[in-house]
Amino acid sequence: MKSTLQISNDQKINASLFFFVVSAAQIGVGIHGFQRVLVKDAGHDAWISVILASLFSHIIVFVMVKTYELYPSNDIYGIHQDIFGKYIGNFLNLIYVLYCTFAFYSVIRNYIEVINTWVFPGLAQSFISITLLILVIYAFTGGLRIIIGVCFFSFISGIWILFIVFIPLQYAHYNHLLPVFSNDLTSIFKGAYSMTFTIVGFEIINTLYPFAKERNKVKKYVHLGLLCTLIVYLSVILVSLVYFSEAQIERTVWATLTLFSVIKLPFVERIEIFIICFWMIIILPNLCLFSWSAYRGIQRIKNIKGTTFIWIFCLIIFLASIPLQSRTQIDKINNIFAQIAFCIVFIYPFLLYILALTKKILKKGVRKH
Amino acid sequence: MFRGYKKNLAKSNEQPNKAEPKNISIPTSKIEFLDQLKETIHSPADLVVKNISDSITIAFLEFLIDGKTLNEQILPTLEKVNNASPKVIKENLLIAEVDLATELNHCVYEMLIGAVLIHVEGHSELVIAKISSYQSRGLSAPENESQVIGSQVGFNENLATNISVIRRYITNTKLCNEKFTVGAETKTSLSVLYINGIASEEHVNTVRQRISDLNVSDLLDSAVLSELIDDNSLSMFPQLLLTERPDRFCDGLLSGKVGIVVNGSSMAILCPYSFIEFFQSREDQNLRWPIATFIRLLRFMAILISIFFTPIYVAALTFHYEIIPQPLLVPLSESRAIVPFPPIIEALVLELIIELLREAGARLPTKVGQTIGIVGGIVLGTAAVQAGITSNILIIIIALCALSSFTTPNYLMGNVIRILRFPIIILAGFWGFYGVMLGFCFLMLHLLRQSSLGAPYMAPIYPPRWRDWSDSFIRLPLPLIKRQSVNARANDTGKGTNDNLAKEEKVIR
Repeated sequence: MKSTLQISNDQKINASLFFFVVSAAQIGVGIHGFQRVLVKDAGHDAWISVILASLFSHIIVFVMVKTYELYPSNDIYGIHQDIFGKYIGNFLNLIYVLYCTFAFYSVIRNYIEVINTWVFPGLAQSFISITLLILVIYAFTGGLRIIIGVCFFSFISGIWILFIVFIPLQYAHYNHLLPVFSNDLTSIFKGAYSMTFTIVGFEIINTLYPFAKERNKVKKYVHLGLLCTLIVYLSVILVSLVYFSEAQIERTVWATLTLFSVIKLPFVERIEIFIICFWMIIILPNLCLFSWSAYRGIQRIKNIKGTTFIWIFCLIIFLASIPLQSRTQIDKINNIFAQIAFCIVFIYPFLLYILALTKKILKKGVRKH
Repeated sequence: MFRGYKKNLAKSNEQPNKAEPKNISIPTSKIEFLDQLKETIHSPADLVVKNISDSITIAFLEFLIDGKTLNEQILPTLEKVNNASPKVIKENLLIAEVDLATELNHCVYEMLIGAVLIHVEGHSELVIAKISSYQSRGLSAPENESQVIGSQVGFNENLATNISVIRRYITNTKLCNEKFTVGAETKTSLSVLYINGIASEEHVNTVRQRISDLNVSDLLDSAVLSELIDDNSLSMFPQLLLTERPDRFCDGLLSGKVGIVVNGSSMAILCPYSFIEFFQSREDQNLRWPIATFIRLLRFMAILISIFFTPIYVAALTFHYEIIPQPLLVPLSESRAIVPFPPIIEALVLELIIELLREAGARLPTKVGQTIGIVGGIVLGTAAVQAGITSNILIIIIALCALSSFTTPNYLMGNVIRILRFPIIILAGFWGFYGVMLGFCFLMLHLLRQSSLGAPYMAPIYPPRWRDWSDSFIRLPLPLIKRQSVNARANDTGKGTNDNLAKEEKVIR
């Protein structure tokens, strides 16, 4: 297998860090307002949809890891080249790279929108995107070790926000949750489907898996990471369900942020202003990981330097973020992204696994004869 | 910057080196020898030449040698062994360090350190009797790193004394001492110290490599050396520790670090050092563990307060009034009402005043310094508020920030923490919390990117080495603390993972 990656030992990362990577990659801008789409589909049983979506992602991760275990050391790009040959493989690689770029773009665009709506209505979008991109470039040029470090620090320093979420419980009406299962199963599944935009991110192991030091332990930490995000999402959705009425959620674009805005602490009011700015550190790992993931793919197609890549990449993102202005456009982009992400993250891994397995069995058969 | 500095020096070094012939053999005749010697050393006023007899001549530099040994040991012996060969003289001298040499430049170098050269007519060999004596101050208490509980002795400027102090702390055959000479003009001697078996071989090699690669004309202080051999000299953050406490130095050696002691400098270098360790004090080891933990946590909180409190004030008052709760808003706006400046100017001016006071206090003699503190702190502060130039709440905040920045036990790191505030205040004044977060993220990335001798700077937080957390920003009871950090044991862990990988690969096949 030519496509096998050669990774020196000092480039590898500890398996336990996958916990932070997966959690940090999943939690991003989606959590700001996933309640609205979810409740539209699943009503007040939305929390069941969250659990279902998380369950699916566990299955997907299981399949993904199974696929990578078929190969000694390879990422999704190498597997594509191995299964489909050079040209079709590279075409699929390009699609995956575009997916990563799209994800990056979507994250940055949503964050700019939130900043502009909640904190600085007048701040130029180009200024926000330039500053964020500079941070990404600075992190990216440090290498994978730094990117993983950003994930780790983002997780550690953002953990306090989870406790803030529970403060609105003092105004909670728990009967909003009842009766459980009043919506039919299809609408709950539909709700799980609309979680896609929020829950994707764990597909980072597609490219990160071969960089693990102890491969057999990765599985455990990835699943733990998924569990951690489930806890975060579940607490947010439960608090929003008991705080808002169903009709209210459907009319609130960023329900989580609205939830924060009712909190009054003795030393700060309107803590959501601070939290939104703080969110920069939460989306930074998303941006870094997606750009890194795209770089891995580009490197397979054409060998270019990381520094050159990230400057070109950021330039493209910057230019692309200029024309998009209105909220409806961003919503449309999010919906398109969610559909693509659903195909690539939730369906494609099964296909890939089956193909990889078939190829392996066929190869073995050929060898035996 | 750093590279340019190095290159320039390299160029200026080469010329004098070329002009000097490398090997000069020692003339056999006395007169020729003296001429040759005076020419090499440019006949300074403190060169003493003395004829003992017709054949024997001695030469030395007046203030560099121990006169008592010369008078009591060397002169009587030379009287006795009249007309003997250098070999016989060497055997008869009752001094520990006696050598024979045939090369003039080497002999002159030894003389400059403090040796007596003994020339015998008709022989091309010199006897070098090393009886150097230093004028150095005694061991006094360390002034910049004072501590309440613990030993009160600090390094002084003498390399030999410092090494003897270290040897008194660590009586161990494994304590290695490697000597280097750095600086084309100054020939400063320095010692690299480490404990074989505890310090990682990789780190020792890096230090050796970096010191022998140095190409500088002079080296007058260890602080300069620490900047010359660190990983990223463009960074604000110190990457190697400078300490004047022998107990802290030995503590570092025992936990697997590499130490460098430079002659003529009362600060010793310890490396690799991580960010967290700069905020530890040796005294934490001497206090009870809950108190030490509390103090350490206090220090880390102080960093955050010191860097971010003023920027948050500026950001909140410039852009985000709504985050200030109602009861707090009233006194705040009351005190701000008569101030004619925007918050950013107000904060920057006050911060500058504090920095000025600090700098003035540091340069002046101690007694005058205290007066400056009182005049500046009380008179300026109160007057500024009464004149309506600043709000008194900002005075409190600035004082709190200044106070917090002084809790950092390391002077170099304390400076960094203080200076860091300025760019973040400016960011806050322009873009509110968004600017503060930009500063925060940039700082985090910058710290993550640093390394010290190739070891990660943010260890043990990232990469997470849970075992080392017992003695990082908390301090657990001593029996629970692993003495050597994972950083220092880089070799062992590397091997371990290699083995694991090998096993894994077998399983996969």
